[in-house]
Amino acid sequence: MLVICLMLAAGGARSQPLDEPLTPLPLPPVQDPAKVELGRKLFNDVRLSVNASVSCASCHRLATGGADDRPFSMTASGQLEPVNTPSVFNASLNAKQFWDGRADTLEQQIEAVVQSPREMGNDWRAVIVTLGNDSVYQADFKAAYADGVSAANAQNALASYERTLLTPDSRFDQYLRGDTSILTTDEKYGYQRFKEYGCVACHQGVNIGGNMFQKFGVMGDYFAARGYVTEADLGRYRVTGDEDDRYVFKVPSLRNVAVTAPYFHDASAATLADAVDVMFKYQLGRLPSEEDKRLIVLFLKTLTGQWQGKPL
Amino acid sequence: MVSQLVLAGLALALLLGLTYLYARSQTEKSESYTQSKDLVRQIKQLNAQWELEILKSRIALTHDYDRLVSPLTEIQRLWRQLSAVLGKPQGLNAQRWQVDRDGLVESINEKARLVEQFKSRNAVLRNSLTFLATAEDDIHKQFAQLNPDEQLRLQNIATDTYDVLLSCLEFSQTTSDSKAAELLLGLNQLGINQTVLPASFGPALENLSRHVSLILREQPKVNDLLARITALPVAEQLDQINALLDQDQQRAETVDQHYHTYLQVFSIIALGLLVFLGKRLLHSYQVINRVNEDLQASNEGLEHRVEARTRELKDTQAELLDAARQSGMAEIATNVLHNVGNILNSVNVSAEMVTRQVRNSKSAGLEKAMHLMNAHTEDLGHFLSNDAKGQMLPGYLNQLVEALATERQVIVEELRHLSASVDHIKEIVATQQSYAGVANLVEPVQVVDLMEDALRINSGALNRQQVDIRREFGNVPEIIADKHRLLLIMVNLISNARFAMTGTSDKVRALTLGIRIVDQALLQITVKDDGEGITRENMARLFTHGFTTRKEGHGFGLHSCALAAVEMKGRLTAHSDGTGQGATFTLEIPLITEAGDA
Repeated sequence: MLVICLMLAAGGARSQPLDEPLTPLPLPPVQDPAKVELGRKLFNDVRLSVNASVSCASCHRLATGGADDRPFSMTASGQLEPVNTPSVFNASLNAKQFWDGRADTLEQQIEAVVQSPREMGNDWRAVIVTLGNDSVYQADFKAAYADGVSAANAQNALASYERTLLTPDSRFDQYLRGDTSILTTDEKYGYQRFKEYGCVACHQGVNIGGNMFQKFGVMGDYFAARGYVTEADLGRYRVTGDEDDRYVFKVPSLRNVAVTAPYFHDASAATLADAVDVMFKYQLGRLPSEEDKRLIVLFLKTLTGQWQGKPL
Repeated sequence: MVSQLVLAGLALALLLGLTYLYARSQTEKSESYTQSKDLVRQIKQLNAQWELEILKSRIALTHDYDRLVSPLTEIQRLWRQLSAVLGKPQGLNAQRWQVDRDGLVESINEKARLVEQFKSRNAVLRNSLTFLATAEDDIHKQFAQLNPDEQLRLQNIATDTYDVLLSCLEFSQTTSDSKAAELLLGLNQLGINQTVLPASFGPALENLSRHVSLILREQPKVNDLLARITALPVAEQLDQINALLDQDQQRAETVDQHYHTYLQVFSIIALGLLVFLGKRLLHSYQVINRVNEDLQASNEGLEHRVEARTRELKDTQAELLDAARQSGMAEIATNVLHNVGNILNSVNVSAEMVTRQVRNSKSAGLEKAMHLMNAHTEDLGHFLSNDAKGQMLPGYLNQLVEALATERQVIVEELRHLSASVDHIKEIVATQQSYAGVANLVEPVQVVDLMEDALRINSGALNRQQVDIRREFGNVPEIIADKHRLLLIMVNLISNARFAMTGTSDKVRALTLGIRIVDQALLQITVKDDGEGITRENMARLFTHGFTTRKEGHGFGLHSCALAAVEMKGRLTAHSDGTGQGATFTLEIPLITEAGDA
């Protein structure tokens, strides 16, 4: 009760949260610390991959926005991933996982990544044997789960850890919570342009995206312009087989977008300006001024949150 | 007995029946029913909320698609919960349940799929619709920059553009084929107009055309999606599940009603049985009461009798004790008499000796000599010097004097003997008298002295039997005890030991007497003989009243000793390794000294 009063008082001392299509990050959920810690260990353990070459953290580098700065990450087999690695930060707030949204939950995503021959290439039974032979893991699992080492528990532990990977207190979140002076006038204009041009039609909600699908190339044929089409470009079509889902992808979250270059599933945009250009051309079908694009990029840079108390 | 078994069986059957019925009527049905109903209601509510949010997005009231995601997540969570509560479809409606549940899941999944498409298409449609006005403004701005002549010339083109905008907005409101055709016409006109307009209008016009085309393409699709979404019978299917739930519940309630009826019938039977049992119990209680009263009465009688018996027993015991004591006294008296008798023998001998001495006294010779002298009174001198007889007289007298002196010596000696014997008798009698008649008097006692007294009382017989007495007396202080009882026991034990050794003629008879203190708390007196010993069967009866192995024995001795020991808060025990092995009697009494310690 006291806490609520204090929070109310603090809120009142500043100003009211803004009513916007974008909403600030919630607090991390309350979870068993033992599970989270176990998930953290697993996240950094290369033994999840078939040849002990890559861990989750190899591609989802927390130091670099929870994603890979390479266009395509290196898989366990030495091949390149078919799509650019999305950030693990705030991934728990996405409605679906993967570019094509084939996983409904983090657990499903983890299960798939470990077994996918194009990613970690392992087999969960083998993973369980490996973990079961490690006495430290055995004790950790036993402490966190009644039934000890199991694939479901490992996936749950990893998902639990990932649910803690939120990047709160971006300058824009502070703005949304009512601290309107934290953004410069240009950044506020950028946000206004972002809304006016219709970016916000897809990039909205708590994760500024991540809660819907959209065809890549609404106002023009992006792939024709690029010149070639890969299997990965088919997007959600590969999941549903629905002709309407061809070239359809999950709208990615724009949180921490400034630190997660390159952009798009094909990693074709190296800078924010490039990405904004592509979006205007193929998604919005608008002819913005250079100034407006600059302002929008300025706004996008306010979306970078903090991890462990430090800005990303 | 048989009726009781039948009754028990009946009660058990009733109990089992009641338990079964109770269990059946208390199924979780109703609980899961309310829970399921609640979940269905929540899902229905979320479904409605979901549709509301879809409509709000449709009319651009909200721009946040999180609101279209969370109802589905919540519905899926609740559905999993509901499935868990419902469990596997079973019972009469199993098939309908399966069909309805599958149908609902399918509808929800389809709805989710359609909503995803709706979100994508609605987003771009909204963008294009909002852009229309801006696009038109952009073109008009360019118009405004033209010179007035040009403006006048191209006025109809401006109007065309405006018309397209209007018909596009109209189309988005009432999407019909005729409006679509009209819009298509307008689009074509825009294309034609572009050729007339300056090249600078190109990009803006093309852009407008693209957006109008998009609206033309997407608006029917969005409308169609909305129609399909709302046509999905999720709510109806939820109602069906509700109806099924109600049906199942109604059936369960009917069954429950039956069970309740059975339960009532069983309860009434059980009640009857209870009443019957109660009556029986009452009856039994009365019987028990009566028997109890009888028992109490007889008990009281018995008590009286026991009291009387106890009293008798006590009297008997007292008499017995008296007898034992008297017998003990008798034992002492016997011993005393025995000893006195022995000494009287020597008295007799001494008396006879004196008598014989006196009878054969040489004093008769003196008489004869005096006769001779008296016969010669006148011529005594002559007689003594001339007469042959007279000449021998002085010598005779001298001899006589010697003989008489010897005689007197013997008599004096015998009389001294006699006197000593009489003294001995006096002593023995005095000893006996010092103990007789003194009962239960606790006084300081020198145990060693007491033992010596006991020996002295038995001394005649012991001497006669040439018993070797060995004393193993420890350093025992003066104790506080019943002198009389102790002496009685010692005399008896010594006497018994002596008797036990009468048969063993050819070896040295040793009587070992021991006095010592055990653990500073007990005075232990042992009397050990190497006589005939005690057989195992006799050992058991040793202390019983009237037991004896002696012909002349009365069987009081040990019994009274044992009693005396008990009266002194001690105990008397016997030990023998068997026939011919001798026996040891041990008396243990609490050690009470003058100092008062136990």
